[in-house]
Amino acid sequence: MAQAKTKDLPAGANLPFIYREYSAERLKQALHKMYLIRQFEEGAEESYMRGLIHGTMHLSIGQEASAMGICMPLTNDDQITSTHRGHGHCIAKGAEVSKMFAEFFGKTTGYCRGRGGSMHIADVSTGNLGANGIVGGGIPIAVGAALTAKRLKSDRVVISFFGDGANNEGAFHEALNMASLWKLPVIFVCENNGYGMSTSMARSTAVPNVADRAAAYAMPGVIVDGNVLSEVAEASHEAVRRARAGEGPTLIESKTYRYRGHSKSDRNRYRTKEEIDDWMTNRDPIVRYENELMEFGIIDQAGIEAIREAVAKEIADGIEFAKASPSPEIRNLERYVYTETV
Amino acid sequence: MDQAVRELSYAQAIQEAMAIALETDERVFLMGEDIGVYGGAFQVTGDLVERFGADRVIDTPISELGGAGVAVGAAVTGLRPIFEFQFSDFATLAMEQIVNQAAKMRYMLGGAVSVPVVMRFPAGSGTGAAAQHSQSLEAWLGHVPGLKVIQPATPHDVKGMLLAAVADPDPVMIFEHKLLYKTKGPVPEGYYTVPIGKAEIRREGRDLTIVATSIMVHKALEAAKTLEAEGIDVEVVDLRTVRPMDKETVIESVKKTSRLLCVYEGVKTLGVGAEVSAMIAESEAFDFLDAPIVRLGGAETPIPYNPELEKATVPQVPDILAAARSLATGSR
Amino acid sequence: MPVEVILPKVDMDMATGRISRWYVDEGAVVKKGDLLFEIETDKAAMEIDAPASGTIRDISGKEGIDIPVGEAVAWIYAEGEASKPAKDMSPVAEFERTPAAPTVAATSALPGLATAKSAPATPSNGARATPLARRLAAKAGLELDAIAGSGPKGRVMRKDVEAAISTPMLEANSPAQPDAIVSRPAASSQPWPAQRAVGTTPLNHAWLRQGVGRPIVLIHGFGADLNSWRPMLAVGPVDAPLLALDLPGHGGSAREVPADLDAIAADVEATLAALDVGPALLVGHSFGAAVAATVAARGHADLRALALIAPAGLGPEINGAFLRGFVRAKSEASLMPWLRQLVSDEQVLSKPFVNATLAQAADSELRAAQGEIADRFFADGTQTFDIRGLLAALRIPVRVIVGANDRIIPASQSAGLPGEVALHMFPATGHMPQVERREQVLKILLEMARA
Repeated sequence: MAQAKTKDLPAGANLPFIYREYSAERLKQALHKMYLIRQFEEGAEESYMRGLIHGTMHLSIGQEASAMGICMPLTNDDQITSTHRGHGHCIAKGAEVSKMFAEFFGKTTGYCRGRGGSMHIADVSTGNLGANGIVGGGIPIAVGAALTAKRLKSDRVVISFFGDGANNEGAFHEALNMASLWKLPVIFVCENNGYGMSTSMARSTAVPNVADRAAAYAMPGVIVDGNVLSEVAEASHEAVRRARAGEGPTLIESKTYRYRGHSKSDRNRYRTKEEIDDWMTNRDPIVRYENELMEFGIIDQAGIEAIREAVAKEIADGIEFAKASPSPEIRNLERYVYTETV
Repeated sequence: MDQAVRELSYAQAIQEAMAIALETDERVFLMGEDIGVYGGAFQVTGDLVERFGADRVIDTPISELGGAGVAVGAAVTGLRPIFEFQFSDFATLAMEQIVNQAAKMRYMLGGAVSVPVVMRFPAGSGTGAAAQHSQSLEAWLGHVPGLKVIQPATPHDVKGMLLAAVADPDPVMIFEHKLLYKTKGPVPEGYYTVPIGKAEIRREGRDLTIVATSIMVHKALEAAKTLEAEGIDVEVVDLRTVRPMDKETVIESVKKTSRLLCVYEGVKTLGVGAEVSAMIAESEAFDFLDAPIVRLGGAETPIPYNPELEKATVPQVPDILAAARSLATGSR
Repeated sequence: MPVEVILPKVDMDMATGRISRWYVDEGAVVKKGDLLFEIETDKAAMEIDAPASGTIRDISGKEGIDIPVGEAVAWIYAEGEASKPAKDMSPVAEFERTPAAPTVAATSALPGLATAKSAPATPSNGARATPLARRLAAKAGLELDAIAGSGPKGRVMRKDVEAAISTPMLEANSPAQPDAIVSRPAASSQPWPAQRAVGTTPLNHAWLRQGVGRPIVLIHGFGADLNSWRPMLAVGPVDAPLLALDLPGHGGSAREVPADLDAIAADVEATLAALDVGPALLVGHSFGAAVAATVAARGHADLRALALIAPAGLGPEINGAFLRGFVRAKSEASLMPWLRQLVSDEQVLSKPFVNATLAQAADSELRAAQGEIADRFFADGTQTFDIRGLLAALRIPVRVIVGANDRIIPASQSAGLPGEVALHMFPATGHMPQVERREQVLKILLEMARA
């Protein structure tokens, strides 16, 4: 369980939340996963450029702390709905990168057996009900999943990830209203990376913060620095507690930044190179987390290198697995449209 | 099984089916606008909220998109929601969830989930509710792989098909013609199902096949009686399911009669009858056709308010008679 | 293939035209482009040139009469070409082909034939037909173009093909094929008639069905031809061999006017003998019934039973207006009122039936001969012959089949028949019980053949 607390840190230190909450091992695992997300996406990007992946993909490089931090307090049984920029959520929730690569490569060994690709990546076995190609599409579904959790008294909580663009969709408002009305165990996580495709928050949204919307639905609205793992995890932790306690939903706005364009066809005309460089140089979530871990003596440079190498191998193996996997047969095209009757 | 059979209205039959589903399956619950103490806009849910409680007969805000999404999410995670749209027209507000999510989720996820949601759509014209509350949009949804779309025409069928829908692992969309709600017919007591995807021959005949849906089945049967007196022996096929369509029954009927008339209330162009016609034209029945296929569908207009205009918008018995006569006598 | 010379459409809204003058005679040798004839229209006279080089024959377009646009008015034969257009006949048509007397010379082209003559070279794709009709026609080996469509815009429908299967009128109406041999597919237990060479026969005939057992010989009525039996045969399986004859001055038989019933009976006897028909059931309709009774009474043919449908010769009265009007009628408009007199329920007048009758009506030579026959046998609206006496003397089973509502020969004439003659009277039926009550009449005939 996530709640196993770290007791071997300097006594009395006014440490950030996660260093009080989690064991060194869990914290190192979190770094491992953040690297896994980063390198997975870099590997996917490279495979894409080599023509091994078709379609498009939306990379979340730079947003790893947000995905990881939200998922830290979750159990395998808890569920998430994700977005088109959902690789990080999927990995943070526990998916295997080999099966994700296989999906991106369109193979039968992929999570969606080659039917979904990047935009619909899902691992139901670890509670990921799926990325979604429709902005805001997963939000009401998460509320429905939370309704199930409440009806079945399963103690499960449901996270709905979405971007800043979704906060102007009707589905967002309808879903938040119902979730609050019925006090459902759901947490709305807006990963605000500043742009809905090319349109900035300032140009699209009447309120300065997405979290400001929470007031309209009588739920807490929490803003965190999405590039600081501990801040994100702390907000998630509190929201999960509330949800499990039957106190209803929370809206978390995790302010972050994507390094890459909206998708692989983005020419980056709506933001400056300086702005991107600033985020990459000064606010990278992995670098910041590494520095903290080293500062608090949880890991050293060698340990970080070891993680990087392990992740690199995992990624290389995953790509090899995907390459070697079989493609679906055309004759099975119609499989999974309807539930097969046995 | 010996089950007592009573006369029930179409609406009562739906209510009875939902009550049975609620009683026998803890996972089943109802969602919709004003389905609680109000009893539903057409009094279909009636007093179910009193019998099963507000947790299982849930009044939603006026949020069709969100509501449909909640139903989908609940279905994916283990419940069996029956979601009532107040009018089928409001499907337009929820198309995202119906078409992009409910229909595709299983496929997109490579079979990892099923979406056993039932959505009910009071549909059709004849109530004077005009353009935004009278449409027949079954063809829209019938166009979407992943959905099952049914149009039960009788109290017996609507109960059996609704129970089949609840038991079905995939999303089932039920289009209920509003003018059918008060029509009565024999309905067995207790649990039974009527298969989805199976058409029913309501009347056997040799000279002409009428494939009709929903309320048009009744109009076709009425026309068939008149035609019988004229020596035209009409076979009436109640399609019952728009998707997946029972091609076999229709093909066999057309092979027998060599003539096909499709009667449906939805707009004629690209409607259900268009699909039936095309299906027959592509099938082995083509070589048995002795006349052009004829479609009688809704006019190419929104449904108007004026009662005479409204009537003229959708096929009526005299239209069916005229079309059937011209087909059967070879003057078409 | 001879080249068809048609009455061309030379004006908008022109449905018929009149040939004001022919510039060539039968047998003339013409070159393509030579002037053949002149058409009068409201506006002008148009000269029509020869569409091909060769010998002009079969000139049927008479001067001064209205001829439908598109109708063949003559044929141009290439050097050495047979005197009649060869037909690419389907297997079924081959089976139906009729040998007949060489005396039956090539005669005028029927309007229905005009298209048929060019049909064999034309793929059936151009014909308007329902898918079912196409399939049935292909199965039966019929050319769609040769089938008159009763649907909108002439669309061929199932009933048209079915009528054509039982009435391939184009081929059957065609005059004799002198060298043809009656040949038919082998069937079990020695189908009748066996394949054999046939000598000359006075009357045109067709084996409408092959089969085993006692043959049924059919003689049509005044103004009809052997094809008039086909609708009856379409209603059910017929296992008996079935021979239909064309009376003199009718169908494909010679355009002659017989002197009396005995003369016709002699032709029938000679035809049956030439075909080696053997013991048979003889069936006649109306005037044909009088012929049949005469054949039976003469005792030269081996007949085992006699069926007389709406027989003539039982009384003096006959619908003289019908006879005159029927013979004169040249268009559908003028023909239909008379055809309606034939039946009680005009629904049975199928389009193919009407078309077939119209085709004959267009043959003025044929109708001229028939006019003379009518004048001879039904002078002044009176039946000038009597078969009652003949019937009384017969020793074979005789059945008389009439319609109670017969408007040509009153049903009352069948009263007072000899006691041993069986009478079937169908209510709500006109002069053609074999059409209006086809199932029942066929059943009676088959029973008689089997007895």
